[in-house]
Amino acid sequence: MTFSAIRLGAIAVVAFALLVAPASADHHKSAMKTGKADLQSAGPLSFGPEGILFVGDSAGAALFAIDTGDTKAGSASSVSVKGINEKVAAMLGTSADQIIIEDMVINPISKNAYLSVSRGKGPDAMPVLLKVDVAGKISEVSLANVKHAKAALPNAPAADAKDRRGRSLRVQAITDLAYVDGKVLVAGLSNEEFASTLRSVPYPFGAIDAGTGVEIFHGAHGRFETNAPVRTFVPYEIQAEPHLLAAYTCTPLVKFPLSDLKPGTKVMGTTIAELGNRNRPLDMIVYGKGGTDYILMNNSSRGVMKMSTEEIHKYGGIKEKTDVAGLPYETIADLKGVQQLDRFDDNSAAILVQDESGSMDLKTIALP
Amino acid sequence: MTHPGQPTVIRLPRLPHLVMRSDAYRWIPFLLTLFSTLGVASADSVTVDMEKAGEHYVFRLAPFATKPLPPDEAMRVYVAAGSSTAADLPPLLGSYGIDGNVLTFTPRFPLRPGTTYRVAYRAGTASDPNERTFVVPEADVRPPTVVKEIYPMTDLLPENQLKFYLHFSAPMSRGEAYMRVHLVDESGKRIALPFLELDQELWDPSGRRLTIFFDPARVKRGLLPHEEAGVPIEDGKSYTLVVEKEWSDARGKPLQAGFKKTFRVGPADREPPSVQDWTVTAPKADSRDPVIVEFPESLDEALLQRLVRIVTAATREQIAGDILIDRNETRWRFTPDAPWHAGRYVVEVGTVLEDLAGNTLERPFEVDVFERVEERVARETETLVFVVAP
Repeated sequence: MTFSAIRLGAIAVVAFALLVAPASADHHKSAMKTGKADLQSAGPLSFGPEGILFVGDSAGAALFAIDTGDTKAGSASSVSVKGINEKVAAMLGTSADQIIIEDMVINPISKNAYLSVSRGKGPDAMPVLLKVDVAGKISEVSLANVKHAKAALPNAPAADAKDRRGRSLRVQAITDLAYVDGKVLVAGLSNEEFASTLRSVPYPFGAIDAGTGVEIFHGAHGRFETNAPVRTFVPYEIQAEPHLLAAYTCTPLVKFPLSDLKPGTKVMGTTIAELGNRNRPLDMIVYGKGGTDYILMNNSSRGVMKMSTEEIHKYGGIKEKTDVAGLPYETIADLKGVQQLDRFDDNSAAILVQDESGSMDLKTIALP
Repeated sequence: MTHPGQPTVIRLPRLPHLVMRSDAYRWIPFLLTLFSTLGVASADSVTVDMEKAGEHYVFRLAPFATKPLPPDEAMRVYVAAGSSTAADLPPLLGSYGIDGNVLTFTPRFPLRPGTTYRVAYRAGTASDPNERTFVVPEADVRPPTVVKEIYPMTDLLPENQLKFYLHFSAPMSRGEAYMRVHLVDESGKRIALPFLELDQELWDPSGRRLTIFFDPARVKRGLLPHEEAGVPIEDGKSYTLVVEKEWSDARGKPLQAGFKKTFRVGPADREPPSVQDWTVTAPKADSRDPVIVEFPESLDEALLQRLVRIVTAATREQIAGDILIDRNETRWRFTPDAPWHAGRYVVEVGTVLEDLAGNTLERPFEVDVFERVEERVARETETLVFVVAP
């Protein structure tokens, strides 16, 4: 064959391959239905691939995947909306003290911010999802007719008895969620028994399997094992192995490999830092700067803390009382009142910061 | 067609001809009146109202014609705010509908009782917007909300008490829990941060029951806060759990009154409860007497409601009936809907049932792995058999 014939043949083969290759990037969306996403509450948020927004619904014991369709790459380097809680309340026809902004995340593709909001504070509060674009324009992400998928999160163990009306008062409160490698991890704790669960839900959501749940434990000084609910967590690779860094409600910051999440096993986090009393971490992100990875955490009473992950792989757990309390960290003094935190891009984080008057601003800050 | 100077003859003028003549100005008052019926006039002739459409309020503007103003320039609704930044606040989300010459704005969310809304509206592009405010009436007056009870009911708690359940007579608002509940010592001094504070707050679906955990970081041994701040409540002392009156219920109203629970503290309880220590008093056949299960210590009220049931021994079929828990949660009584048949029955208990310190039937709250721990097969339920005899 002549050279040009070979080239034509090669082009034909490539063209043919492109035609028949499955649109694998979109196959998870083709499994979605279009219709009403019947959220009963809108809590923690996390972005998955291609503009899919995962929403934790504690009241409905469900996990939703919403196709935001927001897949156009954005190049903005900052965002700023003053008094965003007042603006959101005004759009929802109420006052700022009658809404709760539950979570804020940034779409890594477009840089648009998304908020989950409770309109009202009683049990009948209406869940709302809002988009804030980089120009500061706020719009509703309508749930009335949207491409979405839903996974039920089993609320009660099989041994539960219900009262005569079949109601259970038990609620699994979802504290955080994250998408990692084809799975959505959901952390929660019960409003009755003192138990913490971490559920791993494969995405795309399967028809029946609601994922595996494992109990998370903590071993204080390698001696006292207790259930340990997780407040917030972030996926992180340690020496090329996927891990979770998790902040327990009882204050230790721990790591454990994702491979530990096997049903029926006890997952014991390895303590990497003891965050101490009066500590209430709300969000955690990981970012790189100058060749080192850092954890950035906003804290109810301590402001924003920055921790280096150097040596994190060396931590086998704080076994002795006399051990130095883990990873070193510093507090960023001028960042107070940060209610929400998420990555914006490689150089910035997006925060929701509240002042004494209660007014909340959405803005970007340089990663410290 | 008329000529200047002649008496006015009312005939519909043809516009183009009218505009060409400079003496058309004398027609202006007439035209204004005429055009107002077509909806193109000063704002004075356009009215807005707030009305009920079914269960919810909507806003209506009439008369309205699609030209020259699009709906969202003809009428916008805002929350009336007192502050000077009100001008920056966006209008309500909602949708517009046109029916004849009536423009309707339906808010996306139901208007909130007791709230004032401001409608900015105008009739034409040239006219300035007018404003009108409306107040949504308060909902029907219901009796104020109160704290009904706090579990555990006992006034002697172990030092490692795990939680409280607060029961309210009506749904409550989220967002204030840890501001409204305090623990004070014998001298009236507040204990700093005794509880686990979660943004989500742990309410039941009806919003009438709140679970508050003592801070596990202080209760659990071996953790820094336990070392530094110590346990929240100490053996030998007395404390009062104080609920503030100012706590908003779901309607935004405060409680009728505050609530106090005073209690003494005994030593920590590290023993898992065991059904072997329970007594079961069987009822008689053909009666609807309750089966009575009693335990030597108070157990967790919510878990007793949920995790204990009566089934037949033969088929494990659940018996329908009502549960009553009393005597400081040391007694569980079950009254069947239908009279008992003679036979063997089983009290089935989920093993995550806790005592007041969070020890379960399976294991203590804190498992000390340095001590010899007998390996037990983890079971989901424990059972007690009783016989209903004639």
